[in-house]
Amino acid sequence: MYGELPTRSFILIAALLGLGIVLPLLLPEYFLYLGNMLMMYAVLAIGLDLLLGWSGQFAFAHIAFFGIGIYGTALLHTRLRIPFVIGMPVAAGLAGLTGWLLAIPSTRLRTVYLALATYAFAECAQWVFRTWDGVTGGSDGLRIKPPSVLGHVAGTDPAAFPVVAVVLCLMLVATLYLTRSNLGRHLCAIRDSEHVAAASGVDVKRVKIVAFALSAIYAGVAGGTYTLFQSFVNPDVLGVGQLILVLTMVVVGGPGSIIGVLLGVVLIGLLPEALRAAPRGLLVWQEFLYGLILMLAVMFMPRGLWGLIEAQLSVRRAPAKQAVSAAIGTSGPLDLKGTGR
Amino acid sequence: MNTIFSIRDVSVRFGGLTALDAFSMQVEEGAIHALIGPNGAGKSTVFNCISRFCQPVQGRIEFAGQSILDLPAHRIVGAGIARTFQNLEVLRRMTVLETVLVGLTSRVENYVPFWRSAKRSRAERGAVEQADAILVKTGLMPYRNARAGELDFGHQKMLDLARALAAGPRLLLLDEPAGGLRNREIAFVDRLLLDIARRQGITIVLIEHVMQLVMSVADRITVLSFGKKIAEGTPVEIRGDPRVIEAYLGSAGHA
Repeated sequence: MYGELPTRSFILIAALLGLGIVLPLLLPEYFLYLGNMLMMYAVLAIGLDLLLGWSGQFAFAHIAFFGIGIYGTALLHTRLRIPFVIGMPVAAGLAGLTGWLLAIPSTRLRTVYLALATYAFAECAQWVFRTWDGVTGGSDGLRIKPPSVLGHVAGTDPAAFPVVAVVLCLMLVATLYLTRSNLGRHLCAIRDSEHVAAASGVDVKRVKIVAFALSAIYAGVAGGTYTLFQSFVNPDVLGVGQLILVLTMVVVGGPGSIIGVLLGVVLIGLLPEALRAAPRGLLVWQEFLYGLILMLAVMFMPRGLWGLIEAQLSVRRAPAKQAVSAAIGTSGPLDLKGTGR
Repeated sequence: MNTIFSIRDVSVRFGGLTALDAFSMQVEEGAIHALIGPNGAGKSTVFNCISRFCQPVQGRIEFAGQSILDLPAHRIVGAGIARTFQNLEVLRRMTVLETVLVGLTSRVENYVPFWRSAKRSRAERGAVEQADAILVKTGLMPYRNARAGELDFGHQKMLDLARALAAGPRLLLLDEPAGGLRNREIAFVDRLLLDIARRQGITIVLIEHVMQLVMSVADRITVLSFGKKIAEGTPVEIRGDPRVIEAYLGSAGHA
């Protein structure tokens, strides 16, 4: 993608921002809690997609950076009394720095080796959160004091909702600009062919490291938003189950597409609610269902639900496209009048 | 005419296999220099050494008087050498326009990618203008917003060439630009190559099996067989060279 943002995207983001302010006045607390969760997952999943869908790097350390964001923001606030507006960016920066450091050796690896190495890093990070009792509270977890954001005390779902919405909107705008930039094109070029990218002047190693660091920053920011509406964190939140949940959101929704990932976040994020409404007994199958959905998505829709929707849209548009090329007079490949001389 | 590009005594080994054996060639500025030989002769290995995808065990490669063997892969295009790929390596999920924009990488000013800025608008507008000009020249304009992976074979080849041209190279390495194309498409490539070399003054090194194209456009031909140079000369000289005929068809005794 290239150039300026379509006005449509800005209208949608502005609408989201408006909802962030209005909804807390209208909806019951439980819905606001769901909304907060979905918005947090949106930031987390878009960050994972920057690596997975945009850069084609199968890296699974994301949950570790999410943890650094949560513990970092919470500890800076509870221990050092650093306010959220400073603490969250610092924690996210720390996550980014860790991502950058992890990327330096990891970018030598590809495919399943990269996946294994980064997954091992996530396991190590969870172990650190679990055993570093003095700082993280170990497996007992850490109580998070309600942070205040520029004088506005969060901590409850209605109070946190507008702040989480603002954070999500800022991240969305940055992502839209990023994916339409030079750097965004370089990410895609590396995904599609490292050789073509390098031969075109893209510093493949550097761009991969930048992608790792950016992706980690998103996870750190998502971790920061967690502290706004949750009062407690323990290392169990940062396990492989969480990783698979975010991965399913990206893969089912549509890797490499912001709208696709948002779709996946909403569908997969609301799945437990749907199961709760369904006949009793289905809820126990939740984990099984996530696995099954992930498996089916990988097998039958490699570009996710959004990929299917896009394909449908382009099939419907195809006849029009053919008419256009007939009008221009392209009777066959490479047979254009007035070219070459 | 002066030599703009030279390869001296370059050898490449992959394990026990010697892919290139003390290979040398000199390319004159503005010429179309063809590199031919049977499959597996080491032609693409020559390109991969120049692109810095593979490291020769010995030898020198110089472009415009500068050694390029100290440069990393992504600096080669900035030094003035662009290339295409033999096996369709297209950026499948990117559009035709985006692919050419990737080709412009070395010529686009950098900017902060997270927000709007005057520098960004200027850089992007300039890049899209340049890309469009190349799309018109290569006949790809009607497919500007199609995904590269959805183009047919001939258009994918042309897009690869368009991407390489976008870098504004002084030397263009083309790896089988006409391989698998139909006659009408080969005629288009023929005219395009002559236009690139004669009108724009871009030097071309051309790997190609389509002899009709090689004989029509090449100023000079180097023949490789089993990693060694076996002949070099004008198309007329090469056509009648018994060593070349042997390398391609086997010796008279075996026939």
